[in-house]
Amino acid sequence: MPGRKSIASRLGNSAKRQIRSPEFIISITLIIVLSYLVLVPLFNLAWRTFSWAPGDTRISRDAVPGQFTIAHWDRMLFGRVSSKMVWTPLANTMVTGTIAAAAALLLGGTLAWLVVRSDIPGRRIMRTMLTLPYLIPAFAIALAWETMFKSPLAGGRAGLFEMLFGAAPPSWLSYGPVPMIIAMTIHFYPFAFILVSGALSSVDSQLEESAELQGASRWTIMRRITFPMVLPAFLSAMVLTFGRTIGGFAIPYFLGGPVNYWTLSTMLFRNLGMGLDVNGYVIAIILIVLASALVYFNTRVLGGSTRKFEIIGGKGFKASLASLGKWRWPIFAIVSAFIVVACISPIALLGYQSLMLIDGQYGLSNLTLHYWTGPSDPAIAFGSPGLFRSPVVLGGAWNSIRFAVTASFIASLVGLIIGYIVVRRRKSWISKLLNQISFLPYLFPAIAFGAMYLSMFAVRRGPVPALYGTFTLIVLVAVVKHLPYTTRTGASAISQIGQELEEAAILQGSSWLNRMRRIVIPLASSGVVSGMMVTFVGLMRSLALILLLITPSTRVLMTVAYRYAEDNITQLSNALVLFVTVITIVGELVVWRLGRGRISRMREAKH
Amino acid sequence: MASSAFLTISNLVKRFGEVVAVDHVDLGIEAGEFFVLLGPSGCGKTTLLRCIAGLEHPDEGRIVIGDTTLFSSDDDIVLPPGKRNVDMVFQSYALWPHMNTFENIAFGLKLKKVPHADIKRRVDQVLDDLGMNGLQKRFPFELSGGQQQRVALARLLANQPPVFLMDEPLSNLDARLRLDMRSELKRLHHDAGATTVYVTHDQTEALTMASRVVVMDKGVIQQIAPPDDLYRTPANLFVAEFIGAPRINLLRAEPFSDETGTRLRVKDFNIPAAWLPDRKEVVVGVRPESITLHTDRTGDTVEFSVYAVLPAGPEVFVHVVRGDITLVARTAPGLTLAMDQSVWVGIDASAINYYDVESGELVPPPRA
Repeated sequence: MPGRKSIASRLGNSAKRQIRSPEFIISITLIIVLSYLVLVPLFNLAWRTFSWAPGDTRISRDAVPGQFTIAHWDRMLFGRVSSKMVWTPLANTMVTGTIAAAAALLLGGTLAWLVVRSDIPGRRIMRTMLTLPYLIPAFAIALAWETMFKSPLAGGRAGLFEMLFGAAPPSWLSYGPVPMIIAMTIHFYPFAFILVSGALSSVDSQLEESAELQGASRWTIMRRITFPMVLPAFLSAMVLTFGRTIGGFAIPYFLGGPVNYWTLSTMLFRNLGMGLDVNGYVIAIILIVLASALVYFNTRVLGGSTRKFEIIGGKGFKASLASLGKWRWPIFAIVSAFIVVACISPIALLGYQSLMLIDGQYGLSNLTLHYWTGPSDPAIAFGSPGLFRSPVVLGGAWNSIRFAVTASFIASLVGLIIGYIVVRRRKSWISKLLNQISFLPYLFPAIAFGAMYLSMFAVRRGPVPALYGTFTLIVLVAVVKHLPYTTRTGASAISQIGQELEEAAILQGSSWLNRMRRIVIPLASSGVVSGMMVTFVGLMRSLALILLLITPSTRVLMTVAYRYAEDNITQLSNALVLFVTVITIVGELVVWRLGRGRISRMREAKH
Repeated sequence: MASSAFLTISNLVKRFGEVVAVDHVDLGIEAGEFFVLLGPSGCGKTTLLRCIAGLEHPDEGRIVIGDTTLFSSDDDIVLPPGKRNVDMVFQSYALWPHMNTFENIAFGLKLKKVPHADIKRRVDQVLDDLGMNGLQKRFPFELSGGQQQRVALARLLANQPPVFLMDEPLSNLDARLRLDMRSELKRLHHDAGATTVYVTHDQTEALTMASRVVVMDKGVIQQIAPPDDLYRTPANLFVAEFIGAPRINLLRAEPFSDETGTRLRVKDFNIPAAWLPDRKEVVVGVRPESITLHTDRTGDTVEFSVYAVLPAGPEVFVHVVRGDITLVARTAPGLTLAMDQSVWVGIDASAINYYDVESGELVPPPRA
C-alpha cells in the first residue's frame, strides 16, 4: 500500500510529537531541576555521613578523606557520645511529641465537639477564635512562656509569674519538657480542632438520624456512630501533629535548651553551631527517616481506614445539637477562659514585656516605648535603637518582605505548573514522577532541609557557585520546601477548571500557551493567589528552615529576633516577634477574605 | 456502507490500557444526517465522538471528513483538533466562566483572525437566531441553564463547521426544558443542514431526534438503523433490551406446529407464531404493546394473574405472572384490574422477533 510506513517510523513520529509538546518540555525541565534541588542535596547529605571529611584525619587515624566509612554512624549510634547525641534527644523528641500530640488532639477534639455539636453559646465566633493560636508563631509562644515563667531559680531574671504570685515558679515550670509540651499543645491543637470539626460537620446526618429512629440515645449515637466515623480523621490528625512537633525548633530551643533538654532538631542545630557538621547531618537523616515513617504510617496504615469511611462528606447537615444542660454556661466560661489564655495572653505578654525599660521591674514608671521607637542609647540594650529606627530591623524587614514575596510567587507559579501537569496528565509516568519529587520536601523537617542545603551549597559545585550567604539560596530553599503545598494548591485550582473548558478551546485551534494565558491562568488565579498568601505568611514567620543559611547580609525579621533572644535583649526580641505575629494575622485575614471571594468565583467555574 | 458517506470511520480502535473503549468501529455518516451514538455509559460512544474531534488519539484506523483525512494510523496522519474544522457542544457546555457571551462565541473566530466587524456580525446573527439577542455582555453565571446551553450552541454555529459534534448536550437540563430543546435542536439541524453526530444514553432522545442511530456496547457496534427499525427489529438481544421502556418481554420458547397452526411452547402454555424459526429453541421478544389483556377467557389467550398495575396517564402498564414468568403489558386506561385477579393474555404473533439462544442474534424471517 503506498504511503504505508514501518511501525518503527510511526512510533518515531508519535514520540517526536510528544517530545515537541510544551508540556513535555516543561515537565522534563522541572524533573531535572527538582532532582538537583531535592534528590542531590539528600544524597549529598547522606554521603557526608558515610564518608571521611578532610578534617577527620585529626579525630581518627583511619580517616582517608573522601573514602566511604560507617564510622560516623557507628560513633553517633553506638559510641560514647551516642546517648547524649542521639538517644536522649530521640527519647525527648518522642516523649514531648507524643504527649503534646495526644494533648493537642484531646483538647482540639473536645473543643471541636463542643463548637460543632453542642449548644454552647456563641458557637460561630468561638469556632473562629479557637483557630487563632495557629496564627501565632511557635517562637512567640515560646517567648511568651519565658516572659511569664522565667525565674531566678532557673538561672534568669524574674518573670511575670513571680511578680503576680510573689514566689518564683518551680523550675520544672520554667524550662524543660513540661513547658515544651504545654507550649506545643497550645500551638498545635488548632490543627486537630480544624480537622476534627471538619470531620464532625461532614458526617452524614442521616446516619445519626436513623440511629435515633432505632431508639439510640444521644450518648450511644455519639459513641457508636459518630465517634467511629471521625476516628480515622482523629488518628490521622494525631500522627500529623506528632510529625509536626518533631521538626519544631523554636519551642524546644528556647524552653528546653536553657536546661540542656535537647530534642533531635535542637541537637542538630547545636552540633552545626559547634562545627560538628557530620553529627548534625546524621541527626538530620534520623529526622528525615522518622518523618517519612510517620507519613508512610499515615497514608498506608491509616489511609486505608480513612477510605473505608467515605460516607463522611455526604451532604451538609443540620444535626440537632447536644444539650449541655446546666453545664452550658460553666463550660462556656471555661472555654472562654481558655481562649484568653491560649490566644490572647501570649500576644499581651509579649506586648507588655516589650514596654518594660528594665526587664523584671513591674511598675508603671518602668513602661517605655524605647524598644519600639527610641533612638540608640548606649545604656540600654547595648545601644540598640527601637525597632522602627533600627537599621538592622528595617533591613531585616525589607529582606523578609523581599524574600517572602519572591519565594511565595515562584513557589506558587511552579506549583501551579506542576499541579497542571499532575491533574491533566494524571496517568503518565512523567506526572507521577513530578508529583513524587515535588512531594519529597514534605518529608524533610525544616531544620533538616536547611542542613541539606547547607551541606550542598556551601561550596562551588561544577557550574553552580557556592550559594551560601546569598539571597538566592534562601529563596531556593523556601521555594522547594513549600512546593508540596503549592503543588497541591495549584492542583486543586486546576481541578476546579473542567477539562472541557480547555478542550473547547482546543477545538477552536487554541495553542497550549494561548490556553494557559487565556483560560487556565485567569481561572486559576484566585486560587493561586490565596495559596500564595498562605506561603507568604508561612515564610514571614519561618525560622528553622532558613536559620542555618542566613548570614548578616540576608537576615530577615525572624532571624533578627532570634539573635536578640540569644543575646538576651528580650524586649527587642519580644517586640519583633509580636510585630511579625501581627503581620501574620493580618496576612491570614487577607487570605481569609480572598478565600471567600475565591469560593464565589469558583462556583462560576463549575456548572 | 455507501461510498458517498461524508464522514467515514474505518476500523477505528481506541484502547485505555487494557480496556478497549472503541473496538474496530466502521461507520459511514451521510452529509446532512442527524446521526446518534447511543449506548449505556462506558460503551465507548463519547470516546468515539472525541476521536472524531481529535481530543482522543485513536490507536488504529482512519477518520475521513469529505476529502480530508483527519486521522490515519497507516499514513501516520493526526490532524490537530483546531485544524479539523469540527466543533462540539459539551455536556457541561464548557462556557469559559471568565468571558461573557460575546467573548465566548468570538474566541475561536478571533484565533482564526476573522476581521472584527465580521465577528461582531456573526455573533449577533447567531444570538439573534437563537432568541438570545441582548445577552452579549452577560457572563455564564448570569445565565439560566437553558441560556447557557444556547450560548454553547451559538459558539458552534458561529464557527460554521461542516460537522456538528454534540456530547449529551441536553442531559444537564431539567426535564421540561429538555423536551423543548429536542424540537429546537431538530429544527436547528434542519435549518443549518449540517451533519450532526450526537451522543446520548437516553434512548427516547435518540429515537425522537435521529435520522439514524448506532447502538454501541463495550466499544462494539450492535446495530445501525433508523429509529423505527431499531425499535421494531432489534438486531440482537442487547439492543432489544436496551431500546424501549418498559423493557421488552423475553421468553424461551420451542417452536412446534399442531392442527391450529404454527405455535410456540413456553413452559406449560403455548402462544401463536406467525412463522416457525429453524431452531429447536429460541428467545422470543415481545414488546409490551403487543400484548393484550382480557378480563374473560376469549380466543387464543393464556390465563395469568395480575401482579401490579402501574397507571401512567395516557397508558397503563400491567405486570402479570404465571408461575415464574412475568410479562409487562402496555394497555389503555379503562380496564379495571385488581391485584391477583385472573387475566387472559393475548400476544400479537406478527410483532414477535426471534433470537438465537446462544448468540442472541436476531433470527431473520424467511423471505416471502
